Amino acid sequence: MWVEKYRPRSLDDIRDQDEIIRRLKRFVEAKAMPHCLFAGPPGTGKTTAALCLAHDMFGERFHEAFMELNASDARGIDVIRTTVKEFARAASISGLPFKILVLDEADNMTADAQHAMRRTMERYTQTCRFILCANYSGRIIEPIQSRCAIFRFTPLADEVVANFLMEIAGREGVKIGEGGLEAIVRVAAGDMRKAINTLQAAASMDKPVDEETVYSVLGLAKPGEVEELMEKTLSGRIDEARRILRSMLWSQGVSGLDLLKQIYHHMLDMDLPSDLKVDLVDTVGEVEYRLSQGADEEIQLTALLAKLSSKGASS
Amino acid sequence: MTQPWTVKYRPVSLDEVAGNSEAKKAFLSWLKDFQSGKAGKKAALLYGPPGTGKTVTVEAAARDLNLDLVEVNASDKRTGELLEKIAGRAATQGDLFGRRRIILLDEIDGINLQEDKGAVPIILKILSEAENPIVFTANDPWNPMIRPLRESSLLIEFKRLGLRDSIPFLRRICRLEGVEADDKLLKALVEKNNGDMRGILNDLEMLSSIKRVLSHRDVEWLAPRDRKEEIFNVIRRIFYAGDYHSARRAADQADMDYEMLFEWIYENTPYQLRDPRDLANALSALAKADLYIARVKRLQLWSLIPYALDLMTAGVASSKKYTRPAFTPVKFPERLRYMSRTMRDREAVKGLCGKIGSACHISARRCPTLMIPYLKFIFRHDERAAENIRREFDLTEEEVKLLKMD
Repeated sequence: MWVEKYRPRSLDDIRDQDEIIRRLKRFVEAKAMPHCLFAGPPGTGKTTAALCLAHDMFGERFHEAFMELNASDARGIDVIRTTVKEFARAASISGLPFKILVLDEADNMTADAQHAMRRTMERYTQTCRFILCANYSGRIIEPIQSRCAIFRFTPLADEVVANFLMEIAGREGVKIGEGGLEAIVRVAAGDMRKAINTLQAAASMDKPVDEETVYSVLGLAKPGEVEELMEKTLSGRIDEARRILRSMLWSQGVSGLDLLKQIYHHMLDMDLPSDLKVDLVDTVGEVEYRLSQGADEEIQLTALLAKLSSKGASS
Repeated sequence: MTQPWTVKYRPVSLDEVAGNSEAKKAFLSWLKDFQSGKAGKKAALLYGPPGTGKTVTVEAAARDLNLDLVEVNASDKRTGELLEKIAGRAATQGDLFGRRRIILLDEIDGINLQEDKGAVPIILKILSEAENPIVFTANDPWNPMIRPLRESSLLIEFKRLGLRDSIPFLRRICRLEGVEADDKLLKALVEKNNGDMRGILNDLEMLSSIKRVLSHRDVEWLAPRDRKEEIFNVIRRIFYAGDYHSARRAADQADMDYEMLFEWIYENTPYQLRDPRDLANALSALAKADLYIARVKRLQLWSLIPYALDLMTAGVASSKKYTRPAFTPVKFPERLRYMSRTMRDREAVKGLCGKIGSACHISARRCPTLMIPYLKFIFRHDERAAENIRREFDLTEEEVKLLKMD
């Protein structure tokens, strides 16, 4: 996939996020760095920056001193106790100042797991530096935040996305047609992964990538987006919303919990009276708790959408 | 879409038709006699309960003897005129290649006397002029309406399929479909459907879409055909019940597994309660019922079941405040089909997401939204690119199939 093929290998190759990159390069020069928290929306370069930093820091010996874990997949206190701790506490590799452990999607860790990790971070600071990547820094517990240098990644500028897409198109021999580039940039909204994936999918259609092709990618390869779900919900079509929900949960394998979070953020952005939002947030919290107790994802989410639909319509 | 099993496994030749060997033999010898001009009767009436193989016997025999089959079904609009046009001409002619014909008038007892005035006399007329064999099928040959037809036909009875005939047939299908089902289950299916092979196959297909290894207990998932009406009524009564007790009573009388009842109510709620406020309240009650059911299962707290039942019946019934009364048909729980059909796929998707996730530095959890849709698009449109990606991620054939699937 092009997202991997064109992922920058060194900090020098990273476009945008200039201020952040400048600071990270200084870490490389000094062969020293604090624990870091990379916060920002998807596709803005958090994981890439972490990988590049480690590459530039360790060069050839990257593989000896680097470890990447995904908190969403390797969750829970047990993983922190075992894998993370083992890696962190082993003595540093000769000739290298320390090891780097990247924890992706760290905001998906439970508070308990985060507390457990906090102690590990402290104890093994000498031998290991942590880079936590998260969409929302607010979901990282305060004590960890205070031990980290926080870097806020923002959506990439349209220009940066457009230039990179042109470069890839050139190298892959992809012809860009009328309005194609603009359409991708618009839907990607600063998310480089989405931009590149959309380009690659559109290029598979064996004709110039124009506006129409881009929309057929977004239409046919429904990236399981919540927008449509919310639109049906707010126009009172719960039966149709449920159908979309079913397709996402059962066929596409989207996790109910993930979906719940997305609905939650969507909801907060909606133009609703504050007291109503508070009430809805309470419901969202209740749903998450119920899911943890083994309740059915589809049923709980459908009920939440129905509530949103009736309140959203009557307010 | 793949074909339903009733089509996929429709017998092609007479030996593949399960059971009723005497009836088959009688029919075949009548046909052969007809061809050599020895048959006493120009028509045969095959009768017996649904799903015993009457129609497939005629189809298979036609194929075995290389006859051109002309079929008229009772569910088609059967005015005398139409009949004469279709069957009349065919009865006296061969097909374009000079093949002999055989005329099948299916479900002859389904003729509607009001709508098809004159159908029987016309059939009799066709019969008197016919040069080709004519076959009727009927569930009830003693229907007075078709008496004249019965009297001019050779009667051949098809009996309900017994276990001896149906089980081997079903075992073969299970083997071909890769389904593991114990004989106890197959037996229960045959009994539940009264030997109706069409019904048995439909049930088996439905069950095997839920899981691949079946045991006799899984029969509970099926609502018997004759109970469908009953379920519809229970659902209707719940949605129309004015008070707590009548809703609860409707459920008690349903004599259904509570989880199954839940599925039926949950499926129909958005259709039955059109007002958003009513719907929100009803679904909230259902969501709570679902939570109770989860607790029942997790903690083995059977004593919680009544609360779940109250919430899903009375809780839903009492939510109906603003919805204007209207007749809305009751629907089958689509979700069951959904859950079942995709269960195997879901496991495979998980594995696929793990692979791609770790190669692309994202979690398996986010993979379905961030990567899979684009991969699917590429796999559908560009074989060369798909092949490259297959090699890049070292995907198995099964995983490739998933990405090519809709």
